[in-house]
Amino acid sequence: MNRAMKRLPRCAAPLALGLVLAGLSLPEVAGPLVRLLGMQTGTPVPAGRLAWLARHHLALALGGFLLAGGAGLVLGILATRAAGASVRGALDTLAAAAQAAPPVVVVALALPVLGFGAPPILLALTAYGLMPVMRGTAGALATVPEDVRAAATAMGLTPTQTLLRVELPLAAGPILEALRVVLVLAVATAAVGALAGAQTLGTPIVVGLQTQNTLALVQGAAAAASLAFLADAAWLAAASGLGRRLRR
Amino acid sequence: MTRLMPPRPMSSLTASRALPLAAAGLAVAALVALPVLTLAPNRLVPGAPVGIGLPGLGLGLLALVAALLLAAPASARTSRLALAAALAAWCGLVLATGQGAAGLLAGKPAAARAVLGSGAWLGGLALAGLTAAAARAVFPRWGGLVAASLLLGFLALAAGGGLLDSLSLTVEYRARAGAVNAAFLQHLGLAGAALLLALAVSVPLAILRLRDGPASRLVDGLLNGVQVVPALALFAALVAGLSGLLALVPALRGLGLAAIGPVPAVIGTAAYLCLPLVRGLAAGLAAADPAVLHAARAMGLTPSATLLRVRLPLGAPVIAGALRVAAVQSVGLATLGGLVGAGGLGAVVFEGMAQFAQDLILLGALPVIGLALAVDAGLALLTNREAA
Repeated sequence: MNRAMKRLPRCAAPLALGLVLAGLSLPEVAGPLVRLLGMQTGTPVPAGRLAWLARHHLALALGGFLLAGGAGLVLGILATRAAGASVRGALDTLAAAAQAAPPVVVVALALPVLGFGAPPILLALTAYGLMPVMRGTAGALATVPEDVRAAATAMGLTPTQTLLRVELPLAAGPILEALRVVLVLAVATAAVGALAGAQTLGTPIVVGLQTQNTLALVQGAAAAASLAFLADAAWLAAASGLGRRLRR
Repeated sequence: MTRLMPPRPMSSLTASRALPLAAAGLAVAALVALPVLTLAPNRLVPGAPVGIGLPGLGLGLLALVAALLLAAPASARTSRLALAAALAAWCGLVLATGQGAAGLLAGKPAAARAVLGSGAWLGGLALAGLTAAAARAVFPRWGGLVAASLLLGFLALAAGGGLLDSLSLTVEYRARAGAVNAAFLQHLGLAGAALLLALAVSVPLAILRLRDGPASRLVDGLLNGVQVVPALALFAALVAGLSGLLALVPALRGLGLAAIGPVPAVIGTAAYLCLPLVRGLAAGLAAADPAVLHAARAMGLTPSATLLRVRLPLGAPVIAGALRVAAVQSVGLATLGGLVGAGGLGAVVFEGMAQFAQDLILLGALPVIGLALAVDAGLALLTNREAA
């Protein structure tokens, strides 16, 4: 059985979990289940509304992921260029400080300044995701041996060519892993945006908590978790496909 | 080969020069161009921006002097002068906002509020960073701690002396001091209880993980899976699950179990802490050299004595590091407890959001950030001493 588990691709478990949770979020499944467990039910969230919320949720999360990932990648590369170790120390301090402010708190602080809707959660996603990517990129690039870099320079590659053709391919593994963590984090955290009035899969949860509607609560929780697992599975599948193509 | 590398000492010098100068530039821009205070007719509507004019420029220039002193070739005297200049700029900003707020409110109705503006926040942040950089140049080891105690000490003195009484944040705090203080203690309780619960679960799991087997791989997958679940969804699922459980077994209510309140908050927070704790504990317990473990067995130590007297002390630094990560996360995650009726600082934040009252949000959010930073710094100090 263990050998069979090893042969399964890494994305199988999150994919299966995501699909089961997606099924659970449907009103036709969640309704009877909640009633079976003897909990008070309220108005169900129709499947169409859930799909619409999921699309909004995904768009917000991807927006935050692109902002955090892009900026983190660029800043991480810059941190390993000319100005070396002292900037890395400052980045680590900043990383710790950014992690000390949880996304809920960033959303709350941004609310009076940026207003209701998408901007507070986009800011929170960027602030929370930026540092892991930046740290991961800088750390991965630092593991490229100095000899390899020197050899590339000796072969006549310009610094840009060395970065693109030698350093980034060698450091790709940990960087892609950091990006995966931040993508999953973004999809999971986007639910909190509902507190500032953004339309996400967190919306049925917040409304359910306020109106004691356990059915909406269960549906929203299952749908939000499902989306996070599916995003994880999609990234794993894409990364393994990319790896296979590169190795060929 | 070494000749091809960029000259390191020079580049690190430019970097340590660039950061204080950037902070000073931010301070000047924030204090001169952005509103340091805003005057609002009451606590809910946004106010009209007010600058502090020439004093702001003076404070900015003071920050610039500190940065230039830091950029000059390092000597004990210039670093100390830089620290004094940065600290003076900070004190000036604190006093100027307090006085400015009192001036703005003079002759206005009682409901009027003088709110700290973006200039004060950004400028204060830049000045604090500059002070920390200068303190690190004077005291290389304890720089951060010295800077924090100097900055917060002056702030506390000014607040205690009534110099900040006109600021909207102080007014809001005075109106709700009891509730906010109680929420702070509740938050500490939630975060502490979650950390203890997570530790109680993680210790056996970490010992299980030492023996690599299918069970430990299952635990690994489970803990990784929990991290993917959105915190909001997990808290909601716990509320739903607990209410279902209580409907099935009403006798549990007698044990103090409730679907709404601290129970789901503590369980939900603890669930996220298990992964860093199990990983850190297992790595710490596995850190002992195999030769040392053989020696322990040869000396006749039982497995449990080896665990307690050999593996635990040798792995202590790694375990302390994991504890630090988990404690900081616990403080942050406990904020969501406000949504499921557990109280804590999260409840203050969410009440502020519901009222759209900026000061109330700040009264909840600032202690969360401060508590997380204090826990992080405190445990870092402890781990460093242990490692030394």
